[in-house]
Amino acid sequence: MLTERELQISPIVHESVVHNTKTLTTLHNLTASLFGVGAGILGLESYLGFLFYLAFSLLTSALVYVFRVLPGSAKDGAGTKRYFRGSMELWTGGLVEGLSGFVLTWTLFYGLVRA
Amino acid sequence: MTWLSNSITGLGLLFLAHACYSAHEHSALHSTSTASISSIVSHGTSAPTVASLPLDISLETIVAVFTVCLGLVLGTPELRPIQWRVWAGKIEREGEKGFMNGDGQTDKDYVGNPFKVLESRPGFIDIRKQRKEFAEWVREGGGTSAAPKS
Repeated sequence: MLTERELQISPIVHESVVHNTKTLTTLHNLTASLFGVGAGILGLESYLGFLFYLAFSLLTSALVYVFRVLPGSAKDGAGTKRYFRGSMELWTGGLVEGLSGFVLTWTLFYGLVRA
Repeated sequence: MTWLSNSITGLGLLFLAHACYSAHEHSALHSTSTASISSIVSHGTSAPTVASLPLDISLETIVAVFTVCLGLVLGTPELRPIQWRVWAGKIEREGEKGFMNGDGQTDKDYVGNPFKVLESRPGFIDIRKQRKEFAEWVREGGGTSAAPKS
């Protein structure tokens, strides 16, 4: 976590933080419902379904890292710090928000396919 | 880049719909076949076996999910640097071009150069000199003809 002193020395653009977080949240919400569709079609149950969600969410974060974070930060080598306040914000930020959408479409498609 | 991400997403959705339809057909077919078999054999205790999906449908589902995911990631707007110095430097270097979305238009929340206030401010006013000039003008009588140029 950044201290007051560090924030004074290297200030942070609030609009950019909001923009990045919004982008990531929208993406995670969309993909979570998509993973629910996939898990429902596959007919996964209990822990397997949540493992599926976890694996594909991490895959999404990895894709964001490869296609959006790496090209910009290759110049100065700042890595994730260039776009997010911490690396955990990128990797685990959208996990909880997308979970409800995931369960919703998971149960829906499980019921649809196996009716 | 927009057409690329859109087409990848569309392709993935097509695969996903096909996989969903295949899985539904498979489960329907499986349930009817097991029902007929159990009626032929007339075993009262034949438990309904869990219809495990064929490998190709599972693979198609996973590939479809991955493809849609890739398309969605490619369709996200560019991230912006959060550190003030990096962000301002990017605006100085690239201007509006650095903040375009996929359609070639500038984003709505592009605020412009943060240093524009500094660059377009009026020069410093020498207020003491102006006061001296005003005092001379008053001493000379304050006529409109002798108004000094500031």
